Amino acid sequence: MNDLLPQNQIDSFKAKATAMAHPHELIVDVLRAIQSHHNWVPDAGVTLTAEVLGVSPVEVEGIATFYDKIFRRPVGRRVIHVCDSVCCWSLGAEMITEHLQKTLGINLGQTTADGNFTLLPTCCLGACGDAPAMMIGLTTYGHLTPEKIDALLQKERAAIAADD
Amino acid sequence: MPKLIIDNLEVTVPEGTNVLEAARKLDIVIPHFCYHKALGAVGSCRLCAMMFLEGPVSGVQMACMIPAQDGMVIATNDPEAVELREHVIEWAMTNHPHDCPVCDEGGECQLQEMTVAGGHAVRRYTGPKCTFTNQDLGPFVQQEMNRCITCYRCVRTYRDYCGGEDYGVFGSRNRVFFGRVEEGPLESFFAGNIIDACPTGVLTNKPFRFKSRSWDLQEAPSICPHCSLGCAVIPGGRYRELQRIRAGVNETTNGFFICDRGRFGYDHVNHPERPREPRIDGQPASMAETLAAVRTRVQDLVQKHGPAAVAFLGSSRASFEANALLREWATQVGSPHLVFEAHQGRDRAARVLAARLGEHARSLEDVRQSDLIVLCGADPLAEGPMLALAIRQAARNGAQVVVIDPRSVKLPCSATRLPLASGRLPEVLKALSQKDLSAFSRQERSVLDGLAAQLESARQPILIGAADLLAEAGVTALCAAATKLSTPERPVGAMVLLSGPNSYGGAMLTGAADDFDTVLDAIQEGRIHALVCLSSDPFREAMAPARAQAALGHLELLVTIDSTPTLAAQRADIFLPARASAEMAGSYVNNEGRMQAFLPVLNPGLPISQTGAGNHPPREFFLQTPGSEPEEDWLILAQLLESASDLATIRQRLASSDQRFTELPAIAPETPGIRMSGSGQLPPAPPSELPHCTPSDTLTLLAVSAPLGSHWLAHLSAPLAAQEPQPYVCLHPEQAKELGLNAGDRARLITHLGHCHVVVKIDEMMVSGQVMAPQLMNTALEGMLPGSVLDCRLEREVQV
Repeated sequence: MNDLLPQNQIDSFKAKATAMAHPHELIVDVLRAIQSHHNWVPDAGVTLTAEVLGVSPVEVEGIATFYDKIFRRPVGRRVIHVCDSVCCWSLGAEMITEHLQKTLGINLGQTTADGNFTLLPTCCLGACGDAPAMMIGLTTYGHLTPEKIDALLQKERAAIAADD
Repeated sequence: MPKLIIDNLEVTVPEGTNVLEAARKLDIVIPHFCYHKALGAVGSCRLCAMMFLEGPVSGVQMACMIPAQDGMVIATNDPEAVELREHVIEWAMTNHPHDCPVCDEGGECQLQEMTVAGGHAVRRYTGPKCTFTNQDLGPFVQQEMNRCITCYRCVRTYRDYCGGEDYGVFGSRNRVFFGRVEEGPLESFFAGNIIDACPTGVLTNKPFRFKSRSWDLQEAPSICPHCSLGCAVIPGGRYRELQRIRAGVNETTNGFFICDRGRFGYDHVNHPERPREPRIDGQPASMAETLAAVRTRVQDLVQKHGPAAVAFLGSSRASFEANALLREWATQVGSPHLVFEAHQGRDRAARVLAARLGEHARSLEDVRQSDLIVLCGADPLAEGPMLALAIRQAARNGAQVVVIDPRSVKLPCSATRLPLASGRLPEVLKALSQKDLSAFSRQERSVLDGLAAQLESARQPILIGAADLLAEAGVTALCAAATKLSTPERPVGAMVLLSGPNSYGGAMLTGAADDFDTVLDAIQEGRIHALVCLSSDPFREAMAPARAQAALGHLELLVTIDSTPTLAAQRADIFLPARASAEMAGSYVNNEGRMQAFLPVLNPGLPISQTGAGNHPPREFFLQTPGSEPEEDWLILAQLLESASDLATIRQRLASSDQRFTELPAIAPETPGIRMSGSGQLPPAPPSELPHCTPSDTLTLLAVSAPLGSHWLAHLSAPLAAQEPQPYVCLHPEQAKELGLNAGDRARLITHLGHCHVVVKIDEMMVSGQVMAPQLMNTALEGMLPGSVLDCRLEREVQV
């Protein structure tokens, strides 16, 4: 279990859950903690969340699969969410998405062969005012153009190389 | 009472009725999916749009979300509302596969009806449709997710209403999937309800697959025979085979749902070993010859030995009319030996209930409305499953639920629990009513003090028990407690689960006659020479089976009337085949004294699936349908009595001969039913108990019934029989530790009935000091008659 979530975090969530009237409210928090530790949430992560909070696995899985920011499959080192909602679409999101796909050599929902990038569509980034927009990790970028995207990807690649 | 106008028609409805229901009252049915009377309105399917022209609300609104109010003027056929509905249904249908010709829902698809009613006829969407991988949800429910229109009714039924925790909804947008986290059988005992709830063919009846199209089924309103609650059901039959059961609606009893035992327990009607021909001394005979033989032989024995030489045993699963005619027969013969249940514990408990329940009687709807439910010695899932759902609805509305029981009673809601040995249940009821809890330990008082206070303040408290564990003393104490705690302003309700669909009716018919144990003594001693068994099996049902078997061997004449292959049917000198409840009209009296009528679904006959063994039935021609000899149980008795043989006349006669049954001729199918008036008689005082010597190193074993395996008709139904558990015992962790037993161990259970192999289950909610074993038909635990308390030893089996 420890590769999913460190014991001290498990204990702290358990303590919080016992003190709460509705431990369900912590489902997203535990899932996010597992994701930040393990990069994605495997089946065992769903079971662990249910155990820690004393809720049924069905409730956890319902939430884990509802939110596209919780990853139930392995993802690359950086996850790019590109918005396909109406504001971004009306300002050229289709072209932006196509550029991302071509540059990365993958389709939506796929991960690059080097394991660096996963490209996912999303229905909202809360960045309509900056449309078209995308999010890399937890940072949003707006007013996207192909040039801006190329520069951002370059920067991310450099950062990944530095991490290694 | 708001008055409103819908499509130029005026309608007045009770306060709180929504506009969709108000329109339905005018026979204006507007398409809708998410609204269901039992599940409530959520306004999510966006289909029931109506135009609100005048009144407090205006414009296009979802009718299910708007309570009817005075002065509203509404048009359901307004072009804007009609167009909206058309778009919504078209959108709901974009991913639907249109596989209606091969869909199991075909013929009863609400989606199809609503699509047509919504005005969507031609598909414009030509894009790819989303598809899913289906899950195996176990033996009862078949899933075909591609047909789903995400109405959420299944998950609202399964989780919200029924309290199931292993079925849910996953994903978002057009990826929404309804199912389990991992493939596997649905755990809820009410899982089958999602078959009824699903408006289309996503969730269908698995055992019924490939059997019939719904329009080919013969259906009629009936009453479930699997427990004493009397739920409304609609069985369906075809080709002389009862093929399925769906829930009927009776808002006073079951509401809109039924349990899986009721739903999948249809197959006893088709049982391959069901005796279908009249027999005299083992030889087939005509019905007329057999009836004559019964009359002659009974008469001969009466002449030879006197009227007391004949005993009559009625049944909790025969119709009320047949039982009443059996009583007429006993009176005519002049025999004092008339009992309606071979299990004397259940018989005595039911008689006490019929004598004492009176004004305390409560329906399942009353339970749903209650704010304090005290379950004392009742395990609803085993003894009356729909009670568990009613309790859940009360709990969802804020009711407190308290469980006092030696068992770990499973409920689909949370409850305060006090484990207490079965022998102490009458004591606790007495103590609560006398407000003197001094006899209980501090730990026990921590629950009981709170309960005593709640009993003071609750608005509509109901005390609930069951015949098996409470027995005579407990039911007496329960009814006395209800009386003692009642005030004119705040009456206290009572409900007791009995063994069968007509237990209460039988108890009302019994006089002050001795119980079946005394009858067995008289048979053993040679005072009773003949026994007439109506749909009962004393060989299996008497509380001391070995003694019953020995005594019954002394009979000169055993006459059995039944629709199932019982031991009494096999061993009968004269056998008369009866119809199952789905094959006849009649009535049952449920555990609150409610008389309910049922109608025949199909005529008896050997199912074509059996005569043809899966192939074309034999090309032989007879004037009579094979296996069609079984007759209505009341008709058999009416013929034996040589009296009127039509149901209306029989009911009329019973009503005029006994004023408690005055309303019997007035009962009609598909109505809430009518409660009997008056009360029954108490059984004679129980014989004083002999001192019981407990051998050293023994444990107390409590025999109980299980949801599946303990009930005869359910056991004869193949879909349910396949789900029966292996023999097991359940005990408290401390006790297990003392015996050196772990959960899952194999052990040998030794009682005076013999020994058998069991699996050990451990449950910390069990009372310490009692071991629990379920009665399981056709296993070594068959003789564990619920309610009996035995000395036992439990030895761990060493694995070789």
